[in-house]
Amino acid sequence: MPPDIIWNLQDFQIDPSRPLYEQFVEQIRAMIAKGQLAPGTRLPSVRETAASLRVNPTTVMKAYQELERLRLTITHRGQGTFVTDEADAIRQSRRELARGAVRRMEELASSIGLTLEELIALANEEE
Amino acid sequence: MKQMLNSYADAAHTLSADSAQLAVRCREVSMSFKKKNVLHGVSFEIKRGSIVGLLGPNGAGKSTLMRILTGLMEPSAGSVEVLGSKPSVDTLRDLSFLPDRGQLPNWLTAEQWLGYASGIYPDWDRSLENQWVRKLEVDVSLRIATLSRGQEARLQLLTCLSRRAPLVILDEPFTGVDLLSRENISSAIADEAAAGDRTFLIATHDIREMESLFDRILLIGDGTIKGVYDTEALRAQGQSVESCYREVFA
Repeated sequence: MPPDIIWNLQDFQIDPSRPLYEQFVEQIRAMIAKGQLAPGTRLPSVRETAASLRVNPTTVMKAYQELERLRLTITHRGQGTFVTDEADAIRQSRRELARGAVRRMEELASSIGLTLEELIALANEEE
Repeated sequence: MKQMLNSYADAAHTLSADSAQLAVRCREVSMSFKKKNVLHGVSFEIKRGSIVGLLGPNGAGKSTLMRILTGLMEPSAGSVEVLGSKPSVDTLRDLSFLPDRGQLPNWLTAEQWLGYASGIYPDWDRSLENQWVRKLEVDVSLRIATLSRGQEARLQLLTCLSRRAPLVILDEPFTGVDLLSRENISSAIADEAAAGDRTFLIATHDIREMESLFDRILLIGDGTIKGVYDTEALRAQGQSVESCYREVFA
């Protein structure tokens, strides 16, 4: 059975000075959170991914294991790896992404001496 | 506490000494031609199943080191083990080598060459051959003399990958090869590494194309090993393979 999608290196933004497996996890996780990868989508195998992204197979395997640990994907023996259809797991992942975004906003706010609420209020202030 | 650390060190030592897990082991390898020292005290190990980059400037001794691993040359001093044995005619069976500036018999067509190669190598796998002919997009009806450098490089790689040899050594697989052929070649290497328990040692100047493929890099300059790094560990410290290379050789 062929995978539902084929990765392309253009699907990812890879920074060569950060661990690659981390970046694959983050970006695939975001694709799942946004629904760009729908529940039940069959992902390419480790081998197909390594070949199409031209990346070390061990790195891909580690990324896939991490996605599985996060309950975002599930592997059926002999059939392949699929995006989970547990709404729970996806919801939790979205929540964590949202928290990360808020944390970054808070840091930004505090760098100009504001709380997040003050930052938003200031941005919404009328001229 | 100190004792505990020592016993850890001992355990690490016995682990690294377990040659069953090693594809290559070099100990204090030196090589001189007449009075010129080309390699000096080179020691490193390569674990089975890994993809290792051998990186360094021109004249660093990369090709000499690779030739020693294949058994084509004997080092002046030191010891070498390839898959647990000293390199010789016997280890050639388990080793697939792509030489730098290698020459294929250019009066043959690619198809005739592959037919000939399949007869020389006992581990030749016709189904692997067909797969790589397709994936590397080699037109086998062409005479080798008429191939472009990219086509010839792909045919050479195809010759290496169509064997089931557990150790593959590639010396500059990208010399004179265009961008798309380079991508094709590195994709083939990733694919082949994922398929089985093969070990790759690759010398290249094309760090950008290959850096995501390597588990580890061996940096070699002036005939000595300047450093051995795990690539993901480097990245965890905010360094890329390229920046590490610059730091070591600049």
